[in-house]
Amino acid sequence: MALLKINGIDKTYASGAMPATLADLLTQMNIDAATVVAEIDGAIVPRQAFADTRLADGMTLELVRFVPGG
Amino acid sequence: MNDMLKIADREFHSRLLVGTGKFASNAAMDAAMDASGAEIVTVALRRVDIENENDNMLAAIDRARYLLLPNTSGARDAAEAVRLARLARAASGIHWVKLEVTPDPYYLLPDGEETLKAAQTLVQDGFVVLPYMNADPILARKLQDVGCATVMPLASPIGSNQGLKMRASIEIIIEQATVPVVVDAGLGAPSHAAEAMEMGADAVLVNTAIATAENPVKMAIAFKLAVEAGRMSYQAGLAAQSTHASASSPLTGFLRNEQK
Repeated sequence: MALLKINGIDKTYASGAMPATLADLLTQMNIDAATVVAEIDGAIVPRQAFADTRLADGMTLELVRFVPGG
Repeated sequence: MNDMLKIADREFHSRLLVGTGKFASNAAMDAAMDASGAEIVTVALRRVDIENENDNMLAAIDRARYLLLPNTSGARDAAEAVRLARLARAASGIHWVKLEVTPDPYYLLPDGEETLKAAQTLVQDGFVVLPYMNADPILARKLQDVGCATVMPLASPIGSNQGLKMRASIEIIIEQATVPVVVDAGLGAPSHAAEAMEMGADAVLVNTAIATAENPVKMAIAFKLAVEAGRMSYQAGLAAQSTHASASSPLTGFLRNEQK
């Protein structure tokens, strides 16, 4: 079992089923990487680094995007 | 017309900034933005909904035409605002930010102390900072002194459509400012925007009044014209007021004989 905390929600994965990289996670979640900015354990991950950013058990992720606002 | 709005190192033809919130659809937002003539549009940053499909509003915004101005809405203190600004920069590559720190959810009034703290950090970090603030002339000077690119005093609470409740304080801010003054929040009618521009504000930011009008496109045009009229009126110089009447027609040659 592995755990990722994504946007405040605990996501558990059977062993071996956790996406290897941040890019893989977004693909699996059907989120267009071009529209997202990510923070892992409080540090911003530049979009160019999504594919090279390896995920590990226990990481806390924030995935944010632009929305309409004033 | 060579009357450009200059903020930091950029010049803009339009003195109307618009917010993108509260529109019925992305298409309605796009049409109203187009009609407004705005060149700067604000956006917010929020968590991706990881359980549901997400709407990509950026697809509806022509980035070549509009400067995206991310805001830090939702921030309750300086640290949260700085974090949001940095995320927005990473997301967009834009180092401009509309700084808002609003710990009070009922009136959404900005926290001046935290706003100033965040502004200092962000300016040092290379951001062009446009702070939303209470109409406090002392705070405006402090924000200006730490290097903010504008000051953005509120006319009345966000989304309230109450107009220029803070008029007297905004007049002092305009008188003292060396950076552009953008009147933000609470402008509910084109006449409010015209009034702010007539007072000498450099620009206004409008969202709710356009987005929630019955016809947002028509209202966007009305605000555009009002901002232009107000600006022109300021440049023309208002005629003096007096307490008594002053006839516009000649006071001689009446069709009657003067009684001796």
